[in-house]
Amino acid sequence: MNDELNYMNTENLKFFGKVNASISHELKNILAIISETAGFLNDLAELAKQGKELKLSLLESCSNSIVEEIQRGFTTIRQMNRFSHSVDVPVMEVDLMETLELMAGLSGFLSFASHVRIENKDKDIKTISTCPFLLQHLIYQILCFAYESAGPTGEIRLHLSTENDKGILLSFFSSTQMPVERFPDEKIKNISDTLGVEFQTNHSFYELNILIPYTCEKIQGLNYERK
Amino acid sequence: MKIILVDDEQKFVNMLAKRLALRGIEADVAYTGDEAIKKAASTAYDVAVLDIKMPGISGTQLKKKLHSLHPNLKFVFVTGHGAVDKSDEGTAENDIYLSKPMDIEFLIETIEELTQAGEFVPGSLTPQTNGRDL
Repeated sequence: MNDELNYMNTENLKFFGKVNASISHELKNILAIISETAGFLNDLAELAKQGKELKLSLLESCSNSIVEEIQRGFTTIRQMNRFSHSVDVPVMEVDLMETLELMAGLSGFLSFASHVRIENKDKDIKTISTCPFLLQHLIYQILCFAYESAGPTGEIRLHLSTENDKGILLSFFSSTQMPVERFPDEKIKNISDTLGVEFQTNHSFYELNILIPYTCEKIQGLNYERK
Repeated sequence: MKIILVDDEQKFVNMLAKRLALRGIEADVAYTGDEAIKKAASTAYDVAVLDIKMPGISGTQLKKKLHSLHPNLKFVFVTGHGAVDKSDEGTAENDIYLSKPMDIEFLIETIEELTQAGEFVPGSLTPQTNGRDL
């Protein structure tokens, strides 16, 4: 039991670190663009001092680019903030659609990430009572599993549907064949066991299905009042 | 002196190429490793500035492919990561790594050292855009 717990703790910490490293990478890219654009504006100013013509269209394009990158930075920081707070409580009511959007966004920073499309966004999907951090970890790992075969040019579609009164069915459809015989791997299986998530096979190389229970019985006991 | 900048962050490489052009250095850009290989097949570059983490071919894999095309080509790696894992396949102890965001004058000094060109005056702007708009 202790070995299992240690393994899970280590894997969860690795996941937390990996996501934070990818966020810092994204922010550095944003800062690099802003830095080069600001440097280019300085260059233009220097040339203008030397009597060269200064095109207003260049100034506009530079300022627009800086504004776009600042917006990109805000979006990234909002994602970082939501992710960081997911460890605040062990169990809470989780909006599954929001979690999918966050994980699609954060895993999108990986160099091998495919394009992710979330379907039926407008459908009324109930919230579930579970561990937000572990659920994020599970979705992130399954997305990574799917990305490895689809690659940067492929697409992963996520689809939610209610499955009787047991829980919500989450399907991952890939544009390319996946090594389904290796699914779930040890990491995904361990997180799923804790969350009470079941795997549903349909013998397709293009589809992975998981059934997420409305209430995660196994970790309800960990709930506590937020201080 | 001709260099190629390879990075999937398109705005970053485009802006860097413009700033290098203002300093008299002609720079082509490529947004993927495959695009870089195609360009390098028809152009003799002196230096390749490569992002390490790119979709498809990584910077370190790209270095090996470009090196086989042009054995004398020099490499500078640019990364948004805080630390570089030099155990990655394709990296070498004497490879040069610059962290984003970077100082363009330092990049130019690095290129000069690699090519022993010594022809650029730090901070001086001598536009060389070959007729292209900035």
